[in-house]
Amino acid sequence: MKLGSRALLLILQNAPYLLFIVLLVVFGLMSDRFLALANFRNIIIQAAPIAILAIGMTFVLLTAQIDLSVGGSMYLTASVLALYLTGIPWPIGLAAVLVLAGAIGAVNGFVVTRFGIASFIVTLATLFILRGIAMYLSNTRTLMFEDQILTLNRATVLGIPSAIFAFLVVFAIAWVVLHQTPFGRQVYAVGGDPEAARKAGLPVSRIVFACFVIAGLCAGIGGFVSITQIGAVGPKYGDQIEFAAIAAAVLGGVSLFGGRGSVSGTVFGAILIKSVQNGLNIINADPYIYPLVTAAIIFLAVAIDGLRTRIIERLERRTIRPLAAE
Amino acid sequence: MADGTMPLLEVEGLRKSFFGVTVLHDVGFSVKPGEALGLVGENGSGKSTSMNILGGVHQPDAGEMRLDGKPYAPADPKAAIAAGVAFIHQELNLFQNLSIAENLFVDAFPRRGGLLPLIDRKAISARTEAVLKEVDLHMKPSTEVARLSQGERQLVEIAKALSRNARLIIFDEPTTSLTRPEVERLFAIIERLKQRGIAIIYISHALEDVMATCETITVLRDGHLAGAGAAKDLSLQQIIAMMVGRSIDTIYPQRSGTTGTEVAFSVSGLTQPGVAENIGFDIKAGEIVGLAGLMGSGRSELARMIFGLDSFRSGRIEIGGKPLSEPTPVKAMEAGIAFLTEDRRGEGLLMDFTIAENTVLASLRDVAGAFGILDGGKIAKVSLEMASAMRLSTDKVGEVKVKHLSGGNQQKVVIGKWLRRQPKLFILDEPTRGIDVGAKQEVYRIINGLVERGSAVLLISSEIEELIGLSDRILTISRGEITGSFDRRPFDREAIMTAAAGLTARLEAAL
Amino acid sequence: MTAVPPAQLARTAGPSAGMTRFIRPILSEYFVLVLCVLYVAAIYPFVPEIVTWGVWSNILSDMMPLLVVAIGQTFVLIVAGIDLSVTAIISMAAVVGASVMTGNGGYLGGSALAVPVAVLAMLIVGLGIGAINGLSVVKLNMPPFIVTLATRMFVAGAAIWYVTFHSTSSSIAGLPDAFTGFATGSLAGLPYTVIVAGLIAVAAHMLLSRTRYGRWIYAVGANPKAARVSGIPVERTILMTFLISGACASVAAMMYASRMQTGSPIAGENILLDVIGAVVIGGTSLFGGKGKIVWTVFGVLFLLILDTSMKLLGASLFAIYIIKGSVILLAAMMDTLRNRILTER
Repeated sequence: MKLGSRALLLILQNAPYLLFIVLLVVFGLMSDRFLALANFRNIIIQAAPIAILAIGMTFVLLTAQIDLSVGGSMYLTASVLALYLTGIPWPIGLAAVLVLAGAIGAVNGFVVTRFGIASFIVTLATLFILRGIAMYLSNTRTLMFEDQILTLNRATVLGIPSAIFAFLVVFAIAWVVLHQTPFGRQVYAVGGDPEAARKAGLPVSRIVFACFVIAGLCAGIGGFVSITQIGAVGPKYGDQIEFAAIAAAVLGGVSLFGGRGSVSGTVFGAILIKSVQNGLNIINADPYIYPLVTAAIIFLAVAIDGLRTRIIERLERRTIRPLAAE
Repeated sequence: MADGTMPLLEVEGLRKSFFGVTVLHDVGFSVKPGEALGLVGENGSGKSTSMNILGGVHQPDAGEMRLDGKPYAPADPKAAIAAGVAFIHQELNLFQNLSIAENLFVDAFPRRGGLLPLIDRKAISARTEAVLKEVDLHMKPSTEVARLSQGERQLVEIAKALSRNARLIIFDEPTTSLTRPEVERLFAIIERLKQRGIAIIYISHALEDVMATCETITVLRDGHLAGAGAAKDLSLQQIIAMMVGRSIDTIYPQRSGTTGTEVAFSVSGLTQPGVAENIGFDIKAGEIVGLAGLMGSGRSELARMIFGLDSFRSGRIEIGGKPLSEPTPVKAMEAGIAFLTEDRRGEGLLMDFTIAENTVLASLRDVAGAFGILDGGKIAKVSLEMASAMRLSTDKVGEVKVKHLSGGNQQKVVIGKWLRRQPKLFILDEPTRGIDVGAKQEVYRIINGLVERGSAVLLISSEIEELIGLSDRILTISRGEITGSFDRRPFDREAIMTAAAGLTARLEAAL
Repeated sequence: MTAVPPAQLARTAGPSAGMTRFIRPILSEYFVLVLCVLYVAAIYPFVPEIVTWGVWSNILSDMMPLLVVAIGQTFVLIVAGIDLSVTAIISMAAVVGASVMTGNGGYLGGSALAVPVAVLAMLIVGLGIGAINGLSVVKLNMPPFIVTLATRMFVAGAAIWYVTFHSTSSSIAGLPDAFTGFATGSLAGLPYTVIVAGLIAVAAHMLLSRTRYGRWIYAVGANPKAARVSGIPVERTILMTFLISGACASVAAMMYASRMQTGSPIAGENILLDVIGAVVIGGTSLFGGKGKIVWTVFGVLFLLILDTSMKLLGASLFAIYIIKGSVILLAAMMDTLRNRILTER
């Protein structure tokens, strides 16, 4: 029995990957265009903004918090960029966007850690405040961006499309921070067991605060990348994108209860979601079923995760006498 | 052993009281480098308080502690760690989602040189590997702690102590959740630590383990020093006699009435791999059966399985002559079982709710009419009745929240909430844990009243005296098996303790 | 209480009578209602219309669907869950109901049974999605947040898709008068919607405060372990709250659809923040175990007074967003403050 559970556990543990393979096979059989290399490049370009956003979300989720305000942050920074940061070289504009986005994250983090309010409600409120400010600034008009920003979309770095490059840089930095720095490991410690973290003398509040700032910065970068891709933003820009980012992270194995998951999983989740949409597009599926399929996949992944947790709990039930060989 | 080595740690005249209750009276002991001191005593004897003082959690009211001949007075746990005193708690303090190496260094990672704050993985790996070798744990430093067994996690805690250059390591009940091979392995490690000159304080209920591992033994009883000596000069019987000491005084009230003849409850062949093996016994109406076992012996697990909180693979439970198959709490309650959990705050009460709300929680149907509509008057009446029957400190049952009651009064509310149901079988798991003597006496009175009205009681307690004072019969449980049954008074206290420690067979062979 | 050291006692007992007078209204459960009154008084000089019958009948009719959804949400929040799918349920129920009864080729278009069957279908939609949510939480061990997020995405998408089979436009119009009368008609001067919402509020209040199911809900939210040991069917209780939330969303769908005279797949799209915000403003905790229907009524009322007064002041949509967000944030801070004072006592 125990061996059977272990085997099942192994399957469940890798369920998102199995799911991905199944999708590749299914779409591959239905259209030979899906498996083309150029298409993969497209998928990654399309996935870049959401993946960057989801990487930031991963930091927050790892500490068992949540940030619903990222979409509002994207919209506000984009509006500021389009309205006020014109006529300057784009890197300065990007820097300003990052300062603003980081500050928004800092406000979220401050309110959450200082007042001990559920981050769900804090960031839900800031989401509306940010969208409101952005609509006020833009007067709910559709905003256009300068050519220097639009051309970035076609630019390449070392032969790599700019969106993919940005995504790779963010991913690499996030990975190094989470896995190779004291801060990153302490993020896992805080999310895994906040009480033990406090006992071990870790600066829990400061770590949580920093994660909100990181989520804010990633919203800024992700927003910038998506601006280069779509060229104009309206009042619906970034709407509900926080849910897509959370979904990508959860699909990649990040736990909403903190302490479990990785940025590579998150990136995988984001690519999985975009692959599905891309595949549906290629096989000319009814566009109405896109959200249905995406939702079903998220549901499936989380259901599998729940099942996995149950099995782990059962396997780890405290034993007080040696188990007979089974 | 009696050579002239200076003790590493000396404690003298330690005294501590909480809220006017003195829990330590002039306790003293010492331990030399390379030796282990066994600290034994029943619950409430003052072991944990002494250790909490050593570990910097509490400050003593009086007394002197010296480490290496120098005064030692840790202000907090960090200071204790810095002084080289490591405390390995029963509940391990590890981050399961981090690797072994990361757990060892989580509060102070060594960094690589250079501008970026990168962890020096090579260094922590090498250092972790070195300490893991010392504790005989052959695992990669990068192994996630979640994947380790309980015994292996304990070794990681020891490695953590070593990596911080601990000179004194305190073990608090280290073997309760270990399998026998793991226990043997732990002892081998402790031997090795001793050879390195590290001093050990070993706290355990498992006396045989203490005798096997420790050079000297100190026995505490009711906060006093009850005896001390070299392990080789003491017999198990002597230690138990020191621990038990006093005779049963009058705090256990007399019970009128006699045990009935009809079996109220029986269980047979109860088995759950790793937890319980072929457990069977019965309880008559009006009988109190005590269950004696060490922490981690499976006594609470047995209670939880009977009440349907944990599952079991096979076995038969009968209550009032009717089988109770695949119990759930709802089914068990309908069959007439009540269960007082050992975790009063976590499972017994809704701390933020009022006395009345807690009182009726388990018998809502009785105070509800059509469509489940609650009868407020009846709730008030029932709660007031409970309050007066339990002699609660307040009768404002509809206003006072239970979190504002003392431990004893809280426990009365939990018991009262179940008495409402007139249970056929009442399982009491540690009914007097953490409450003062006066409240204990009241709880005993209540239990007796319950039995006089014909309920059967299964009483679980760490305090052997309580079991002896209240029970008609005592069963001993060890490692998930019933190891003995002791009928009638006068009980043989030492025999019960020995059986509860799982020693009967070996002891008999030795005698 | 014995555990309070003297220094702390001095601190808590210290505040003068004036301080207590300041604190007491914050601690009162009618705090939000008091705020409503104060707010109306403060805004009156700028928009005197705020106290006219016309404005209030508008507030009431806007309030009813929101109130009904918020009541359902209150149940879920008390067991420490959350239901993000309510807005999608509203949309789905609206289009399914409309597809049954529309005069433009509905399944039962023109039949006398059309409206009752449509109402039944709408309830079934809500209960069905609620059941999926609840079962996923208790049987599959899934976090309520993600479950209802996924069902929300799925159902919202499905509602839009569903319309394409029944209508050439983006919503299903042509609802029978018998149904739209629900929004316009009244009994003894009270609009039907107010009567229905009032009945639901009273029933919900009774259920929570006067029945044993109510006690189950609070107990499960406060401490599921203790609830289980006390013989409370924890899983059933959680499932029940999701069913209630789903059914309430269905009723709200009826109100929206009858008022708009069409079954729109985006009927409830924008009210999620209002729903959760109103409940939280009222004082129901996101962590479970605490909440009341009256609080939710006050929370919804406050949010709508705010909304209406802003519109009367000529504030734009974005100003309303900013103010609503800030108010919700403030309410959450106030709640933290209130809890701190209460625990120190």
